Amino acid sequence: MGDNIGTDLKAEIKKMIVETLNMQDITPEDIEDDLPLFGGENTLGLDSIDAIELVMAVQRDFKVRIDDQNLAREVLKDVNSIAAFIQSKAE
Amino acid sequence: MIIESFKHNMAAHCESGTLTALLKHKGLEIAEPMIFGLGSGLYFGYLSRTPNLNFPMFILRTKPGKLRKKISQRTDIKFNTKRFKSQDEAEQELDGLIAKGIPVACQVDFYYMDYIPQWERVHANIHFITIVGKEGDEYLVSDSYFPKLARIHKDNLRKARFAGGYLAPKGFRYYIESVPETVNYKKLIPVAIKNTINNMIGVQPPFIGVRGIRTFAKKLQAWPKLTRDVDHLSHEIMKINVFLEDQGTGGGGFRFLYATFLRQASEILQNKELEEMSKKMMEIGDGWRNISYFAAKIGKNRDLGPEKLQELGQMINERADAEEKFYKELKLVVNKIK
Repeated sequence: MGDNIGTDLKAEIKKMIVETLNMQDITPEDIEDDLPLFGGENTLGLDSIDAIELVMAVQRDFKVRIDDQNLAREVLKDVNSIAAFIQSKAE
Repeated sequence: MIIESFKHNMAAHCESGTLTALLKHKGLEIAEPMIFGLGSGLYFGYLSRTPNLNFPMFILRTKPGKLRKKISQRTDIKFNTKRFKSQDEAEQELDGLIAKGIPVACQVDFYYMDYIPQWERVHANIHFITIVGKEGDEYLVSDSYFPKLARIHKDNLRKARFAGGYLAPKGFRYYIESVPETVNYKKLIPVAIKNTINNMIGVQPPFIGVRGIRTFAKKLQAWPKLTRDVDHLSHEIMKINVFLEDQGTGGGGFRFLYATFLRQASEILQNKELEEMSKKMMEIGDGWRNISYFAAKIGKNRDLGPEKLQELGQMINERADAEEKFYKELKLVVNKIK
């Protein structure tokens, strides 16, 4: 997933994540496209509150609404999946 | 044995999702939001006291089972429903139905759905799943909250179907006997919308509908007196987020799901005003999502002083104002529909 999606969009998403969640020790460049955002080890380690914050940020910054929690689980897997969702809504 | 023709899909909410999947299996194509709207599922209730729960709670949709009953009353869809006293009888009957190729919806305690990660599972007797097969000692489960067909051991399913406590399932199951060729949407949509309007701004007790939202905002200020300590208060405040976003609400306390119903209704009835109302309901859902986030944040940070609870109460009161205005406007729109 995500091979055909512009790197600019992914960079914007990474910036949104870092700024929205006020991450002090992580820069957008540190986040790999396929790094899982939630879960245990080898993930960005986000929690459910971060999730709702990201849902609201995606709507605010990219004007697309994630209106279903099951959808949110799929969309917020990693940067690739967020980018794919935003692009699918733009088409 | 697996009922191959049954198509598994995820859904926003287990009860409407299960119903939608079973209707599709029977040949009636209908979307989940339409089921939710036609069953007048949107609701609000602030419950100060509930059996077996020692803390107030609020609900954002009608009582479990009511959606299906409303659909049954309003359409020619025929359901076969049954509760059981005997666990053996319930299991044997279920096996017999599956052997006949009939997918069966069961009310269960969500906690026993062990294909869901443990940290996501809580005891809640109001979950609905569809049993679509059995292999050895395992049942094949279509669960709206799980991306693919799951498996559950028969012993676990027994525990889930016969869990005790508030709203105990008592082995409740249903399946669909027959569906009509078509549904008279033009007739039913206004009826269903009027029912929801009545639930929200009609003559209701102070804990129901828009009055209930205001009661919630007010009573919330006294929650510190009802809790043991700040950890307990934090837990209860964070549950606001869970009820609004995670309990199969589809997000925004079912308001997004209802907004989608209004959009679909506008397309069916060719009614632009309903489309506008759909957009307004989406915005109302956004407001509930803000409340959800605010509650989660102050709960997590233990930032629970009186001023924060007042701020939360103010946000909830704003939802009451927005919803009251919305339903009054919706009433004018729906009364014009011929």
